[in-house]
Amino acid sequence: MIPLLGLIAGIVLGLVLEPTIPQALQPYLPIAIVAAMDALFGAFRAYLEGIFTDRVFVVSFVSNVLIAAAIVYVGDQIGVGSQLSTGVVVVLGIRIFTNAAAIRRALLHA
Amino acid sequence: MTTRDVEPENRRARQRGVGPVDASMDLLNEIIRHPVDPDYAIAAARPHGPQRRWPLTLVVIMIGAMLAVAALQTTRSAPAVETERRELISRIQAGEAEQDRLRARIDSLSVEITELRSTALGANTTTKARLDEIASLELAIGSTPVTGPGLIITVDDAPSANRDARDRVLDTDLQMLANGLWRAGAEAIDINGHRLSNLTAIRSAGDAVTVDYRSLTRPYDVRAIGDPRTLEARFVESSGGAWWNELAQNRRMRYEIARRARVVLPADPGMVLRQARRFTP
Repeated sequence: MIPLLGLIAGIVLGLVLEPTIPQALQPYLPIAIVAAMDALFGAFRAYLEGIFTDRVFVVSFVSNVLIAAAIVYVGDQIGVGSQLSTGVVVVLGIRIFTNAAAIRRALLHA
Repeated sequence: MTTRDVEPENRRARQRGVGPVDASMDLLNEIIRHPVDPDYAIAAARPHGPQRRWPLTLVVIMIGAMLAVAALQTTRSAPAVETERRELISRIQAGEAEQDRLRARIDSLSVEITELRSTALGANTTTKARLDEIASLELAIGSTPVTGPGLIITVDDAPSANRDARDRVLDTDLQMLANGLWRAGAEAIDINGHRLSNLTAIRSAGDAVTVDYRSLTRPYDVRAIGDPRTLEARFVESSGGAWWNELAQNRRMRYEIARRARVVLPADPGMVLRQARRFTP
């Protein structure tokens, strides 16, 4: 319940406060969101399997976001930023789909 | 594919003492086999005290805020892109207006040059003959405006051009039309106000047809000056006439020929002096 309420509260906060992201960080926001979604789905699946821990979730979220941003940053420096972002999105996308399928099976038994 | 599908395949491979058949599949297998952080299982196995809830709440609020901010930014940057586009369009239009202005200046300057030339040459019989020769040559090369009887041929895309690109007027069609008119004895031709000379290129650029690298807008008005008694009949018989007759009948393109007692064609402003020789009378 807390995660869902927190997510909604976060969206509302973001819409109301409209914080401006520094120009230098803007390219990393979309990739950070994909990484965050991956952490979220992974956490939800772990929760369904009964092995969820806050600490692991927080650590996995922070490291996911930082690593994704770092990969894109390094890619930007060596001129393959968009290709590396595509790579990150593909890998995380596969994980999100796999986790979403497992969640669907656990919830709907289908 | 689930964990169970993948596992036996790899185990069998290991038993045979060889690696997986395709090593590059390893990455995908790894991603699919361990979609959940393995730490969850390790941490759950360890005994732990009561969990604190606030880091989780904070992270989740952050994720929500990130989503909202990213969505806001994307929707907010859309109008900015639109303004940029409009600005580019207005800059293009300003550039075209500037070009038109410069072309008009070229026209007035070349009239001035002609006047200065005739005064400089004086009025004896040799120079008179020279001036007549210049005048007839200028008519042929298109560097002076011309007035005379002629034809206006209006062509346009077929109504179905949006569905089938072949129903559109192409550069080839206008080339055939112009060449047909030249063969039919036209002395001067222009397309939508762009005079054709022997250096004019009729080309396609993207979806537009260009004459001398200026894009045309539909419909296309091709005006030609020539002998009013024979021009139309000879054009219809020419290959250009046959080409357009077929386009009009098979593709339903617009193709109208009108006779005019007086047609005024502008000069081709693209004419430049490439070679000059001192005139010795």
